[in-house]
Amino acid sequence: MIQLKGIFKWVNSGGNRVFLLKDINLTIKEGEFISIMGPSGSGKSTLLNVVGMLDDFNEGEYNFIGQPVHQLKEKHRAQLYKSHIGFVFQAYHLIDELTVYENIETPLLYQNVKSSERQAIVADILDRFNIVGKKDLFPAQLSGGQQQLVGVARALVAKPKLILADEPTGNLNTKQGTEIMELFKQLNEEDGVTIIQATHSEKNAAYGSKIINLLDGRVEK
Amino acid sequence: MVKNYLMIAWRNLVKNKIFSLINIAGLSIGLACAMLILLYVKDEVSFDRFHKNVNNIYRIVSKSKHAGVEYKDCNTGFLQGPGFAKNVPGIETFVRIESGAEDIKSGTEIQSQELLRVDPVFFTVFTFPLLNGNAATCLSEPNSIVMSEDFAKKQFGTSDAVGKIVMLKDNNQFVPFKVTAVAKRCPQNSSIKFDVLLPFKESEADAQNKDNWFNFSLNTFLVLNPKANLQTIENQMQNFYVQDASETFKAMIKKYDIGADTGMGTYFLQSFTNMHMNTELPPQNGLVNASNPMYSYILSGIALFILLIACINFVNLTVARSLKRSKEIGIRKVIGGDRKQLIIQFLGESFLLCLMAFSVALLMVQLILPLFNDLANKALSFSYLFDAGLIAGYLVLLLLTALLAGFYPALVLSGYKPVETLYGRINLSGKSYLQKSLVVLQFALASFLIIATLTIYRQFNYLTKTDLGYDDSNIVAVNKQQLKHSEAAYFKAELVKNPNIVDVAARNGGYWGTNAKLFNDSTISFDYETIDESYIPALKIPVIAGRNFSRAYPSDSTNSILVNESFVKKAGWKNPIGETVNFFYYNNEIYKVIGVVKDYHYQDLNQKIGPQLFTMKNGNLFGTFNIKIKPGTATESLKFIQKTFKHDFPLSPYSYIFKDDQRIKDYESEAKWKQIILFGAVLTIFISCIGLFGLSVLSAERRTKEIGIRKVLGASVKSVVTTLSRDFLILVLIALITAIPLAWMAANKWLQNYPYRISLDWWLFVLASFLVILVALTTVISQAIRVAVANPVKSLRTE
Repeated sequence: MIQLKGIFKWVNSGGNRVFLLKDINLTIKEGEFISIMGPSGSGKSTLLNVVGMLDDFNEGEYNFIGQPVHQLKEKHRAQLYKSHIGFVFQAYHLIDELTVYENIETPLLYQNVKSSERQAIVADILDRFNIVGKKDLFPAQLSGGQQQLVGVARALVAKPKLILADEPTGNLNTKQGTEIMELFKQLNEEDGVTIIQATHSEKNAAYGSKIINLLDGRVEK
Repeated sequence: MVKNYLMIAWRNLVKNKIFSLINIAGLSIGLACAMLILLYVKDEVSFDRFHKNVNNIYRIVSKSKHAGVEYKDCNTGFLQGPGFAKNVPGIETFVRIESGAEDIKSGTEIQSQELLRVDPVFFTVFTFPLLNGNAATCLSEPNSIVMSEDFAKKQFGTSDAVGKIVMLKDNNQFVPFKVTAVAKRCPQNSSIKFDVLLPFKESEADAQNKDNWFNFSLNTFLVLNPKANLQTIENQMQNFYVQDASETFKAMIKKYDIGADTGMGTYFLQSFTNMHMNTELPPQNGLVNASNPMYSYILSGIALFILLIACINFVNLTVARSLKRSKEIGIRKVIGGDRKQLIIQFLGESFLLCLMAFSVALLMVQLILPLFNDLANKALSFSYLFDAGLIAGYLVLLLLTALLAGFYPALVLSGYKPVETLYGRINLSGKSYLQKSLVVLQFALASFLIIATLTIYRQFNYLTKTDLGYDDSNIVAVNKQQLKHSEAAYFKAELVKNPNIVDVAARNGGYWGTNAKLFNDSTISFDYETIDESYIPALKIPVIAGRNFSRAYPSDSTNSILVNESFVKKAGWKNPIGETVNFFYYNNEIYKVIGVVKDYHYQDLNQKIGPQLFTMKNGNLFGTFNIKIKPGTATESLKFIQKTFKHDFPLSPYSYIFKDDQRIKDYESEAKWKQIILFGAVLTIFISCIGLFGLSVLSAERRTKEIGIRKVLGASVKSVVTTLSRDFLILVLIALITAIPLAWMAANKWLQNYPYRISLDWWLFVLASFLVILVALTTVISQAIRVAVANPVKSLRTE
């Protein structure tokens, strides 16, 4: 599903080239649950953003479900990630001005899903995540764990093949974190969704079927 | 989707009340101004278009050259209309309109009534609907009168007045006139307005006398055949004129000693609809509502300024606030929104805001319409707004404003890269040259208008307060037409019996001017005043050589004259007393100078003082009394004057005006400009300042952390306030530096219109700059202080 070949990413800082990613080679198959580990600044988020096509890379090849991402134009790339990838963030990144229901509905709106269909999908996911009672609340009225739950629901609502989660439990307490991880596991096992998560925690990393360790932008063998 | 956009737009508006308020306030003021101007312009261009036949109606006008200068004239004599209509094919008919005033008697009350004398076809050419009466025949009989419904109500208490009798003064006696028709009130966008119409009066002798080609006294309209060619008709008109009038013209040149270089002039046609806004050939001499398009331009300019400044606020505040919204934008992009969808969303928000501003603007328009009517000299009403064209205009205005204000921010906001916004990597503290330039533009416009206001105020003060060279206080001016010297003397003797009446001076009515020859055979043109011996002392006009008129010298009422200094200068006299002037128009009568008066402003200050000549000649009639009363006795004196006047002149209408009030009236147009520019300046600076306030709030928020660090490092409140205010003040200073030279040029140009004017002193600009800086500083400093006194520990912790 994902093939990264010799990916380099750098920024120029005061005449020096600082490498964020160095010669990353990765192959991820559909249905895998990958955990990326590494200390702060090791390039976890950068790697996720490159995979999620939110960020560019300077060198190398990236194939996503058979499409050469490195050759695609910005517009096509956006098209690709919008229809196949869902994002979950450490800081949840919900839209403060929208209710839980509206936050989850928005991706469907952008994909021009019909109103009746939309209602059915959102109702379904609210039900499944057990947050029906919260649907008219605004993000500020929810706890962190609930917010992240909404974040995951929103990432899933458009039925992506791949979920990219950047420290999804970073802002949560242990109990909330465990709930989210259990949810990921369930999604991976029952729905066959491919998941890549970046994490600091050994315990959360263990939920994954494979762990990749990053240090200074390099995969540690 | 749209629902989602609108919902988030609405929630954003409610959440950021200050910014919504700033934007709505600014935009609604701007929109209200623009709406008023649209209304105004619509009224201007709709003038006279209600006549069914308007495209075939033309006015006869002419141009002529005199001493190398071209003059245009919109008046004609008796003969042009009938002459052209009879001899030029393609002209279907003509209507002459002559303005006048006659005394009308109702009961014992006598009032001077302005009226128009028109040819009988008047109502078939022009579309003025009649309430009662026959349009084709109502003006055919000599003693018929047509009145407006308002006048009929005033006169008879009912508009059903056909057949009733009005006593009208004709040849010095009251004669019955029969009402033959009552017309509906003239539309307000009409150049022809009347309360009373009489049939045009022309004797057989007048119609035969070819001098009447040149006795320009009225407006003549022609109705052309729709198929006729305008150029051909004009050529044929000119041919007929030259053929019919050359002999008379030659004789007149000889008789009046007009320069040989004066041509006969060329007639041409002005379309009826062209008249209203034509300053060279305006509606005048009985036609009303002449409009200077300059007025429209300046009004539109100010309205656009204000709208522009409000849009700038929107752009600046939206972009400056984008830091707060960048997260939302990032999320929307990550979860599938593309740029186009985001642009639509932001445009939708600006549209919603504009729509709200638009509703507020509608309310405002309704509220300020009376004031605007007063300022713009209009009679516009709100119902006028319900017109398809105008509504379309307003919708376009709304859309344009929403686009103008919303497009740039939408473009900027939708361009953010999601990774940058979501990971807080975005750098919004950039130079933002655009925002700064826009602030400079706003304050430059505001400064410009403030300087303009100060200039106009000072000039207005100068015009109304300057010493005129004579004393116009406590003088009541009362008009009495066709007043003989003996009648004046009798009236005066009656008045001065009352101890409150200090003096009574008589003068001719209106302004006269003529030419005369000097001893060395050169011609001099001058203003020609007929006064009595009290005039010079009553008005305290200084006599600087010779003496005033006196009844003690019999020759003073025959061939003595006084002249002013300008006359002496123009004539080149070393020793004016005893010099002579030859009135060659009047059988070469010779007059002798017995005194010289100091130059004084006998007309308003918009006119330069020219040569002036005074006579007390018995044969010249008076037209005005200037009655000097004791200060503080106005009520009693006025009663007494009225009583005496009614007693002495029972058949004449009585009206009075205080001479110093007259002076204020002379400057009505300046007074209006003064108010318009003042409103413009106040609104501009207000909207600029609320924008600046918004920016300073945002800047204070954005720099909270920086200020916290500065304070931890030991910065004082004062230095922090300075740091925060300085950036804005620099912008205001740049704006002033830009605006001052432009304002100086514009003010200078405007002042050139006045022969007597203030000088543009440096302190005026300093004062304006001081005002602008003060207002801007007051706006910014509250926010600066708020941040400066905040506890740094708090701000650093929340960061």
